[in-house]
Amino acid sequence: MGNMGKQKADVPQGTLALMVLRTLDLLGPLHGYGIARRIEQISGNLLAVNQGTLYPLLLKLEQEGAIVSEWGASENNRRARFYRLTRSGRRQLLDETQEWQQTTEIIGKFFRAKAEDYS
Amino acid sequence: MRSLKRLRPLVGGQPVRQEFDERLREEMEEHLALMTEEHERAGMNKEEARRQAILKLGPMEAIREEYQREVGGVFVQTLLQDMRYALRTLTKAPGFTAVVVLTLALGIGANAAIFSVVNAVLLQPLPYADPGRIVSVSQGRAKDGIPDDGISYPTFAELRDHNRVFSAAAGLAAHALTLTGRGEPADMSTVAVTQDFFSVLGVKPLLGRTLLPEDGRKGAAPVVVLSEALWRSRFGADGGILGQTITLDQQPYTVVGVMPASFRTPGLNQTVQDWIPLIQDPLFGSWLTREGHWMPVLARLRPGMSVEQASAELEIIGKNLTSKIPSDTGWVFGVQPLQEAIVGDVRTPLILLLCAVGLVLLIACSNIANLLLARATSRSKEIAVRVALGASKSRIARQLLTESAILGLLGGAAGLALAWAGVSAMSSLLPPALPKFHSIHVDGPVLIFALLLSLAASLIFGLAPVFLAARSDPQENLREGTRGGESKGPQRARNILAIAEVALAMVLLAGAGLLLRSFARLLRVSPGFATAHVVKANVSLPRFQYSKPEQWTAFANELMTRLRARPGMRDSAIVVPTPIVDGFINLSFTIAGNPPLAPGATQTADYVTASPRYFQVMGIPLLRGRLFSLDDSASTPMVAVISESFARQYFPNQDPLGRHIVFGFPPRGNVSREIVGVVADIHDVSLAKNAAPMMYVPFAQAPIWGGDVVVRSRLSTAEVADAIRAETGSIDKNLPVTEVESLPAGLHESVASQRFRTLLLGVFSGVALLLAAIGVYGVVSFSVSRRTREIGVRMALGATPANIRRVVIGESARLVLLGLATGIPAALILTHFLSALLFGIKATDPITFLGVALLLILVALVAAYLPARRAMRVDPIVALRCE
Repeated sequence: MGNMGKQKADVPQGTLALMVLRTLDLLGPLHGYGIARRIEQISGNLLAVNQGTLYPLLLKLEQEGAIVSEWGASENNRRARFYRLTRSGRRQLLDETQEWQQTTEIIGKFFRAKAEDYS
Repeated sequence: MRSLKRLRPLVGGQPVRQEFDERLREEMEEHLALMTEEHERAGMNKEEARRQAILKLGPMEAIREEYQREVGGVFVQTLLQDMRYALRTLTKAPGFTAVVVLTLALGIGANAAIFSVVNAVLLQPLPYADPGRIVSVSQGRAKDGIPDDGISYPTFAELRDHNRVFSAAAGLAAHALTLTGRGEPADMSTVAVTQDFFSVLGVKPLLGRTLLPEDGRKGAAPVVVLSEALWRSRFGADGGILGQTITLDQQPYTVVGVMPASFRTPGLNQTVQDWIPLIQDPLFGSWLTREGHWMPVLARLRPGMSVEQASAELEIIGKNLTSKIPSDTGWVFGVQPLQEAIVGDVRTPLILLLCAVGLVLLIACSNIANLLLARATSRSKEIAVRVALGASKSRIARQLLTESAILGLLGGAAGLALAWAGVSAMSSLLPPALPKFHSIHVDGPVLIFALLLSLAASLIFGLAPVFLAARSDPQENLREGTRGGESKGPQRARNILAIAEVALAMVLLAGAGLLLRSFARLLRVSPGFATAHVVKANVSLPRFQYSKPEQWTAFANELMTRLRARPGMRDSAIVVPTPIVDGFINLSFTIAGNPPLAPGATQTADYVTASPRYFQVMGIPLLRGRLFSLDDSASTPMVAVISESFARQYFPNQDPLGRHIVFGFPPRGNVSREIVGVVADIHDVSLAKNAAPMMYVPFAQAPIWGGDVVVRSRLSTAEVADAIRAETGSIDKNLPVTEVESLPAGLHESVASQRFRTLLLGVFSGVALLLAAIGVYGVVSFSVSRRTREIGVRMALGATPANIRRVVIGESARLVLLGLATGIPAALILTHFLSALLFGIKATDPITFLGVALLLILVALVAAYLPARRAMRVDPIVALRCE
């Protein structure tokens, strides 16, 4: 395994939901394992998804109505549960994306700030 | 829709949960498969690929838990799961479960039973309006050993009319009046009250009205308030009873009201049948101007007034009183909340019993904790497996506590059943002195108490295995489990519990032993009179029909003559009062020829009026002089017989015969009598009280309107009662004969309170002893079975069975000695609180302590004998191979 040596970070608290929604938005219906792998891939293998939180989160998102699940066949024709974004899930993603961008913008301002600008 | 969907897992219960469980399992399976495939593609062999996948996935148990938390209602879910698991584990070990539930049932049952008494007697508020404001007012002379006594009517009137602390005050006095004209004549237990009695208590009648101020005025028409029980039994619950007239002691009273059955007269334990204005009472009505401390007084505090303020106010009133009522000199008012005044004497024994059953429960808990510890040790492997599978420690603790709570609740339920049976068994034993405002039964508060107690108990005994589980290292346990060995910790914990049990049992047994020895001493006290074959019965003459003292004497003489003429009646007499069984009358006296007493000082003796054969009937020996004879009559010189202690105390080194003493039963209070004889002392108040100085007068010279007929006869009590009824009826068919009792039975009843607490404490300490024995047995037996290998090795190395037995019994002996070392000092401290209840022995009685300690040692040795025998029979070869 190529990335064995690299120190992987856990997914920051509260952001996993956003990542799941964005991954489903980007790549269409996926099964749980696929979601986990994709998130790791997209992060450039910098993140490790904890299965202990992923499946409960999927269940939670489904109960909130952001995603729905249905049985389908996986790549190798294995029966698997596929998750798909719903309309309200997409709306939730938009909202959260906006919020997230706003937050990063604000945080960014703090990093760019120089002391002389405020003296 | 969404919210409904979210609710589903919460309300759906089992199927939903299973569905989610299934889903997770499938998803995990799928996840693993996909990951394994990916690893395989990366070049691993199949086995290694799957292993890596499992490692990466992490602990399944933890994921499951996290998942279930999301599934919702996780608390309830876990609880249900734990309960199912617990029930399954418990039903798998029925013996263990039964022992725990039974042990706990004993503990909880005893507590619930005693609590139901405590609740009814001490905790429930009195059934009156705002009962906290009702106080009992008394007068006392602390320096003469009279803590609280009644109040005279003149003093009461003074108090009632000149205070600013009470909104109302009332006096009461009780005795029996004869109801005639309505079926069989019957004695009515009547309370004569001042007009504000019902407003002090703040109770409403069931029908009609209670007393009005005008009912208490001189010249008012006599009225009566009936009890609901009397109204129903005698008057058929007649709604038109109001305004009707009933005849009490030949005087007509108009019925004005009926009190509900729940109404109790404070301070009186017997069922009261009617209430009349004090001024109308045939006896007490004439006492309104009399001084003397005969009337209990109740009062209701004004809003905002405290007991302390009332005391202060009464102190001032008391100081101004002596000028108006000289006989009150030296008497001090006392104010006490009514509940306290009523409950006073029974509070200590009840709290004592409650503490005792608390100790029993503690012992039961230690026992169960011990069992659970032993079980936890043998379950350590199971727990270790669950921890290894990812169950968190708090999760395991919760599960263990759930198991304990279920045991606790099962024990509590069984305990309530025991309590229910116990309360009905106890009701026949309850001492007559116990206030009966509320009936004693297992009710709501008792249920809540038992529930809380069960949960508290399960927490106490459930924590031990939890600590053990929390401390243990799963790896260690998994390995250790195979070896069958054990670390020191749990064994020490079990030892400490057994030691605590022995110590607690020591405390209880010491208390019970002291009460038992004290009770035995009390029973050995000779009352000073012979009780065997003596029967007493009360005959009371209506004072309107028999108004003259000559009639009373004539009736008594006639009845005695007729009784003596009957076959089988050895001897009979009439007396007021019968010692012990019927209380006592304490009167002051002066000795003619002695200098007058200092102001405020009094000398008193107990007064008895008796017909000539009384001393023979009761077997009271004459020491000097003569007894009464039929010649002593109203027209001959007044005479008296005194008791030995009277002679010793008031005529030291003098001959009392021929001296005169002045005393008398009111209204003839100052009669000078010549002392003609001295008789032996008797206990007239109670077996526990020393013989008081007594003065006897001939019934013919101090007749009364009735009294106790005492008969010495070989016939049975019932036959004697029939004879007395027949002869009384043949003189006057309207005369009721009541309170028939043999003297041995009366004496038996007079120590009912002592018997009650001794018996209960004895039973409880017996249970404690049994539990402690089981505890010691359990610990030693468990230790033997854990040490089979060690014993085998020892035997293989040459130890004889006797050596092994010594080791095992030595272990038990060590537990007991350590238990005694802690228990005896604790018992010495705690039995100190018993002092007030003991008769004839000290709270530190060495014989009791020694006996109890020996008993415990003996029981512990017996408890260790069985495991010791088992240890001796260990076959070294089998033991060494048993791994």
